[in-house]
Amino acid sequence: MKTVKKLIAVTGLFSVLFLSACVSNNESSGSGEETLTFGTEATFAPFESMKGDEVVGFDADLLDAIMKEAGLNYEFDNTGWDPMLVGVKDESLAGGAAGITITDERKETYDFSAPYFEAMQTIATTEGTDIQSAEDIKGMKIGVQNGTTGDIAAQQIVGDNSTDISKYESSAATMMALQNGDVEVVITDNGVAQHYVKNNPDANITLIDDKDSFEQEYYGILLPKGSEHKEAIDEAIQTIMENGTYEEIYQEWFEGTPDIEALESAQP
Amino acid sequence: MDFRWEIVIEYLPFFMRGLGYTILASLIGFVVGAIIGLVIGMGKSLSNPILKLPFIWYVNIFRGTPLLVQIFLIHFAVMPIFIKPPEPLISLIVALALNSAAYIAEIFRAGINSIDKGQREAAYSLGMSHAQVLRHVVLPQAFKRMIPPLGNEFIVLVKDSSLGAVIAAPELFYWGKVAVGSYSRVWEPYLSVAVLYFVVCLVLSYVQSFLERKYATDDQRKKFKKVVRRARGAEGH
Repeated sequence: MKTVKKLIAVTGLFSVLFLSACVSNNESSGSGEETLTFGTEATFAPFESMKGDEVVGFDADLLDAIMKEAGLNYEFDNTGWDPMLVGVKDESLAGGAAGITITDERKETYDFSAPYFEAMQTIATTEGTDIQSAEDIKGMKIGVQNGTTGDIAAQQIVGDNSTDISKYESSAATMMALQNGDVEVVITDNGVAQHYVKNNPDANITLIDDKDSFEQEYYGILLPKGSEHKEAIDEAIQTIMENGTYEEIYQEWFEGTPDIEALESAQP
Repeated sequence: MDFRWEIVIEYLPFFMRGLGYTILASLIGFVVGAIIGLVIGMGKSLSNPILKLPFIWYVNIFRGTPLLVQIFLIHFAVMPIFIKPPEPLISLIVALALNSAAYIAEIFRAGINSIDKGQREAAYSLGMSHAQVLRHVVLPQAFKRMIPPLGNEFIVLVKDSSLGAVIAAPELFYWGKVAVGSYSRVWEPYLSVAVLYFVVCLVLSYVQSFLERKYATDDQRKKFKKVVRRARGAEGH
């Protein structure tokens, strides 16, 4: 009985120490001013991925530039896709940056910043699969990342909740399923697919673009409805596009030059 | 609070289909796991220290690593050797079977060890063979004691099968995630899924206590009931 009491006391002591350590940690990072926490789903290279315990990628660099320009303190956490959506909705997160396409459905629940990237869905498949257009994937096993625009695009082609579609937690798991043979094709954003092909030349993956079936998409930073920071963020995006910072960041992660005019005139 | 029932209704057929796969996967996983577990449990009871080594390490490895990690390893590393392309549902069943085998082995071993050695000695002294002792004396008594932990293991397995969602095995939790993905709402799908798991596990725990009562051989309660029933019957006449 005595040892049990001791055990309880020691466990209790440790929990108190641990909790207080967590609390003090949070306070120290605030440094007086409010810190905005942004969520992401960091398996979406080159937009975001983890390097050690830090989120790196185009979105991370861009968010950094935007927040510096807007003069806001921020943190960028790998929360995962679903927790990010929920967190932004209930405003426990200030926003989300995860290559999030601006869609009408999402606009019903969230606000978006000005568009900061132009993207399109693409079909990734292993070499030797005969696909000319998006129509050809009917009847094939399709892999997508759950809840993404690739998921929506796939359902538009083969039907809502089709059992031909396998939905994965992350973009990385989706590509892994393609290599493992679980699925025959993957529908995902072109930036991500190109990055994957570049980094895995032995995977023998080919990409098929179909401009007739897939629409132009624009990424925006996800914000809660009526976010007080939307204006500052939009202004900062415009500034960094005009002063060349955007192009610098773009060229660090992608080849070619960004079509800034198209982004500025886009009304997604 | 706004609870959108139409999401539940729209996805209910998918949840039910997912539930079917959940039950199928856990049931096959459990039965196969019990067969492997029996072999492992017997192997661990061998007296030769070298022969029993692989069985000990089987339990060590499968009990010492997370099921989630095992599912990934089995699906992406082991299954591609046998099946091309690997089928997520089969990978899930294999993972559940191999994992539960380690636990069931321990349940079998504990059940057999719990029978007093006097029972065995008495049976041997009656001239029974080793197999006869096991078949007629030890196992019937041990089985009764194994029912609660086995029922426990099966219920754990039903819930753990939800880990199959990570490799897109179309079980119940997978469809919950799909519904969350398409509506960006967590409350309705996950609550529905939780209720369905709960109902299944509740039914299972009643099945377990039914089996416990059915195989109860320390007849105190049964005898008592019989006496009471007879007494009442006599009163009635």
